[in-house]
Amino acid sequence: MKTSVVSLTCCAGCVSSFLNAGDALLTILSEDFEIVYSPTFVDLKEVPEVDLAIVEGGVRTQADESLIREVRAKSKTLVALGICATHGGITTLGNIKSVRKLLEKQYTLLDASKLPELEDLMYPICNFVDVDYYISGCPPMPSLIVHSLKSITNKKTPERHQSVVCTECHRKIIPAKLERLYGIYEKEADPELCLVSQGFICLGSLTRDGCGAPCPRAGFTCFGCRGPPDSLLYRTRDIYTFLVKVISKRTAIPEENIKKELYRNPFVFHTFIFSKFERFKARERVI
Amino acid sequence: MSQKREITISPTTRIEGHGKVTITLDESGNVADAQFYATEIRGFDYFLKGMEAERLPFIISRICGVCSTAHVLASAKAIENAYGAEITETAKKLRELLLMGQIISNHSLVFFFLTLPDFWFSPEEDPSKRNIFQIMREKPEVGRKAIALRNFATQILNIIGKREVHIVSVIPGGLINSLKERERAILLKLSENVCAITKEALELGKELFEKNWQEFKMAGDYKTNYMALTNNGAMEFYDGKIRVVNHEGETIAEFDAQQYMQNIEEKRYEWTYAKFAYLKALGWPNGIVQVGPTPRLNVNRRAATKIADKELQEFKTKFGSPAHATLLFDYARLIDLIYACERANEILEDESITRNDVRVKIKAKQGIGIGIVEAPRGTLAHMYSLTRNGRLRDLKLIIPTQINNAAINLNVKDAASEFIRRGEVKPGLLNRVEMVIRAYDPCIKCATRNVGENVSLEIKNYDGKLLKTISS
Repeated sequence: MKTSVVSLTCCAGCVSSFLNAGDALLTILSEDFEIVYSPTFVDLKEVPEVDLAIVEGGVRTQADESLIREVRAKSKTLVALGICATHGGITTLGNIKSVRKLLEKQYTLLDASKLPELEDLMYPICNFVDVDYYISGCPPMPSLIVHSLKSITNKKTPERHQSVVCTECHRKIIPAKLERLYGIYEKEADPELCLVSQGFICLGSLTRDGCGAPCPRAGFTCFGCRGPPDSLLYRTRDIYTFLVKVISKRTAIPEENIKKELYRNPFVFHTFIFSKFERFKARERVI
Repeated sequence: MSQKREITISPTTRIEGHGKVTITLDESGNVADAQFYATEIRGFDYFLKGMEAERLPFIISRICGVCSTAHVLASAKAIENAYGAEITETAKKLRELLLMGQIISNHSLVFFFLTLPDFWFSPEEDPSKRNIFQIMREKPEVGRKAIALRNFATQILNIIGKREVHIVSVIPGGLINSLKERERAILLKLSENVCAITKEALELGKELFEKNWQEFKMAGDYKTNYMALTNNGAMEFYDGKIRVVNHEGETIAEFDAQQYMQNIEEKRYEWTYAKFAYLKALGWPNGIVQVGPTPRLNVNRRAATKIADKELQEFKTKFGSPAHATLLFDYARLIDLIYACERANEILEDESITRNDVRVKIKAKQGIGIGIVEAPRGTLAHMYSLTRNGRLRDLKLIIPTQINNAAINLNVKDAASEFIRRGEVKPGLLNRVEMVIRAYDPCIKCATRNVGENVSLEIKNYDGKLLKTISS
């Protein structure tokens, strides 16, 4: 299968994750794929016609936009790999108005004739082209990438993950009675108890599973890099209310106090609040 | 040939991030100027302001997915520095081990996937074949070696860092998890096997390098200052002092991390998103300095591990100290790699790394902190100003690619002048120019976290109108 690997505005972490797949990577490279285009690995400079395009990164500049349109036109199947491609990711923090102004100002100080024009916001690729499969994550786990790609090359629909990270987490949910919420370095987490019931703002309950819950398992709060699960996919406004209720239920802290706390920390939600994921055409394509 | 022309390579391939090269030819068709620039923008320096310090290390690692661990460590160190916190010995050792994992992961990627094809194939080889996938088809065992090395690094990052890319275990104050004896045993076993593979990679690299050396040494050897962390003259990645040597190898400055920002100044040119960093005391352009694999060898006299030390001495004997030829970065990178494997093995043999004291309690307070580590591409510095509530007021990051930016540009010009005479563009030229860039393993993702970048070659006429874009 002729494959291209394309990077738009991103950190290149998703392709790094793909390269971490070890022996499974060797198998897929020798049996399924022929990577014909990839500025990171291959010297070909023009986008070729391919069977499969794997795209990491979102659209921040007009160069990104024209590239993704060209890639879409020249590929039979297109996979959005990672949160930047599927939702916009970390760079969407720059969608805040004040930051956007600063960026634009800095941009006009530069010699824009040699540099690509900026888009007004950071967009996921589905705002410009039709996407066949979305594999979210920051980055998605190597095994998830390899399994999904393997299914796609065999013309099968990849296994979908429709539930939440909590279903993959070993921690026991035992409601507690707490006074307030805690930052991750304010106290050590109990290794067996649910992080939310210990007062940490863990987003596992509103994040799609499929990652194996590596962060909460380690004692680090889930930060939502897999995006919302099926149940919350088209109801992004409910995400906030939903989390407030979950935290309140597990800590006995009044909802009002939790709301105040969350307002003070918008960064907790960056993946959800600033992302523009309303354009998902069908949840069946979200893996 | 009576017109000025411009040649552009876009995008530069087999490097991390989007880059572009423009070579301007004068009326007689010789190289007048050459520029390497970046074409992305993301805005990290702006949108992180106001963020709680505790979230910074794992968010800021998103600057670069290739060297994310180095960013996490520099970030945690900067916060601890601002808060006046001292982490435990156990935590330090585990962090150094993570950094070794980072070096192995990056250098095995750069050697096998990005630069090896240049040494492996002749310059006239069909460009569509000049890549690691073709090498893997011809010699599958090379691919298996690359994957075994990466696998070891992945295991270190996964077991200690809890994720392979963008680790989560490192927090201000130490780590959230201690290492279990069982996990140490797994990693120790892997590390023994990996040292053997690295030695083979080094032999392969040296053989290919020596075969091409006569040609390589012409491709840019601009003499500059060199900077790296040092532990009294021994190679060091996690801690230590910053030492600068001049082009003759004399130490011209040595300072603590705290004095870093007083010693380094940044400059901006309007044609690129990536800034240029240089030594303040010497000014611009005398203060141009390089960081990364060769500078690490130029600054230090020895390495604390056995094979790496032997290789370091051999390198100095062969190429002098300081060594200047740009493509030596590719050679020196293999010495880094062997050091990282040996050092990882050494740390893993130490049973005390499984102690439970990996974390100290820290308290937010107002202040400025600097965190420095040797990232794969050279000295990486994070400086934060934090409010008394532990939020980010301001930040300044100096990234290796920004420091090397000047040298990359000078050497690209040097290499282009070597290969372009009287308007004649020799075959394989573009790739030769790209090889110079590739040697630095520049990370445009890091250098342009603020703005976006891409590299390519265009031929333009006197008015700057594009005549032709060449893809090598």
